[in-house]
Amino acid sequence: MIDLIQNTLDGAMIGSSYALLALGFTLIFGTMRRLNLAYGPTIMAGAYLGTYAALRLGIGAVPVALLVVAGAALAGLYVERLCFRPFGEGAAITSMISSFAVWMQIEEAATLVLPQHLNAFPPLVAGAPITLGPFFFRLDHLLMLVVAAAAAALVHGVLHHTRFGLGVRTVIDHKRAAELVGVPVMRTLTLAFVLACAIGGLAGFLIAASEAQITPMFGMWATTKGLIAMMLGGLGSLPGAIVGGLALGVIEAHAQWLFGPLVRDLIAWGLLFAVLAFFPGGLLGAREAGQAAALQRRV
Amino acid sequence: MLEIADVATAYGKIEALRGVSLSAGKGRITCLLGPNGAGKTTLMYTIAGILRPRRGSIRLDGQEIAGLTSANIVARGLVLVPENRLVFAQMSVKENLEAGAYQRRDAAGVAQDIERMYARFPRLQERREQLAGTLSGGEQQMLAVARALMSRPRILLMDEPSLGLAPKIIEEVFSIVKDLNRDGVTIFLVEQNAHMALQVAHHFYLMEQGRVTFSGEPGKLAEDEVIQRAYLGAKRAGA
Repeated sequence: MIDLIQNTLDGAMIGSSYALLALGFTLIFGTMRRLNLAYGPTIMAGAYLGTYAALRLGIGAVPVALLVVAGAALAGLYVERLCFRPFGEGAAITSMISSFAVWMQIEEAATLVLPQHLNAFPPLVAGAPITLGPFFFRLDHLLMLVVAAAAAALVHGVLHHTRFGLGVRTVIDHKRAAELVGVPVMRTLTLAFVLACAIGGLAGFLIAASEAQITPMFGMWATTKGLIAMMLGGLGSLPGAIVGGLALGVIEAHAQWLFGPLVRDLIAWGLLFAVLAFFPGGLLGAREAGQAAALQRRV
Repeated sequence: MLEIADVATAYGKIEALRGVSLSAGKGRITCLLGPNGAGKTTLMYTIAGILRPRRGSIRLDGQEIAGLTSANIVARGLVLVPENRLVFAQMSVKENLEAGAYQRRDAAGVAQDIERMYARFPRLQERREQLAGTLSGGEQQMLAVARALMSRPRILLMDEPSLGLAPKIIEEVFSIVKDLNRDGVTIFLVEQNAHMALQVAHHFYLMEQGRVTFSGEPGKLAEDEVIQRAYLGAKRAGA
């Protein structure tokens, strides 16, 4: 029983960063209605910038975090300009394929900058785990949960209490209607895209810092984790992204404990398969199921 | 107030508007009639800045607005209630109204106007927290009108406000159009429901195949033919 609870707590803490990953992914998908495969690689680009600066300049965790977020946002702007802005809404496949090409580009660039496959990433905090009765918590995982929750709350606040957020929500709901009420749709799309990549960058920093290492494969890893968490929660649903991320973390933690690390990823994919087979709209996506169906028709 | 001269808009090589000229006078209800496919909706989207005209001029109070972004045009006081209403289905009634005021910066004035909309459309107040997608067609039309009014327009464009509504609701919609106009809003209305439209319009235009083919005032002799052509198009009207 104690193990069960411990695993659930551990899973939720890791899951909080998955939730953040999925939140950024969903923000792009919700506004653009297109899949950005280069999402993980843009995060990896930011993380590489951070680790490069840490290795060369020896800066601490907070400036590294800022660099990672800024790097991911910049790389995101590059992806948006190259793969999304030039193509209209009907060109979902074009955007997806070109974002795949940019993925390869970023991976190559990362290996040119730091040729070793594995690079050290500065850890967030050092220190002994906190024990609380029979449970114990890694400090960096606790901090991950706190930062991710604060970031999610901030994003919620921006979406619901700012003019920009109102614009984003109208664009997610109906792009043409958003234009008609006077929302500058193009600018809103670009800003939302960059914001999404910055959120992903923060998630990437938290994950890389807790693993204390980074490889160019981190891009693919982040895209797949974000994608699975997003699909679990429901395509295009922001609360769903949070739920999906947490669920993915918890399920992975239990799978790893029960069956070992190799089975962990297998379970994640199996879960995705099961959800898509039985709840095509995702766990929170019943409301959005119609939209998802509309998207399938388009793609 | 709104003056359109020789406007042409095309989808690729297909010209939907082939040199349209008309005007909508300040404080009046101007109505554009015409059969399906005449280009009425294309004209509305062109005026609202969603589509770019190939040539021609669109002036609002003497200022050229052709080629401006839709956001800019809303800020200048022209707003379109689109065909099929296009409310934000996943947002609440209240959020729809807030979105309508996107171009405004006076938070207090916006809050006041929301209350004003509730007073004018009590059904919207009853359903203010409900998602707009769950409203009936008539309620969605009210919401679309209220959302447009939230931008404090000088001129309101309406594209087929009666589309898909029950006859009783259509009458309600047209009485709202008259009320708004009495309050000083200039209205430019596209309708297929020529009978209803001619009851409220001060002036009307008939559009066929991308051109304005007739204009006049309701109650004149030509009305029967206009109605026939509005429904059926020019070719069959003579038969």
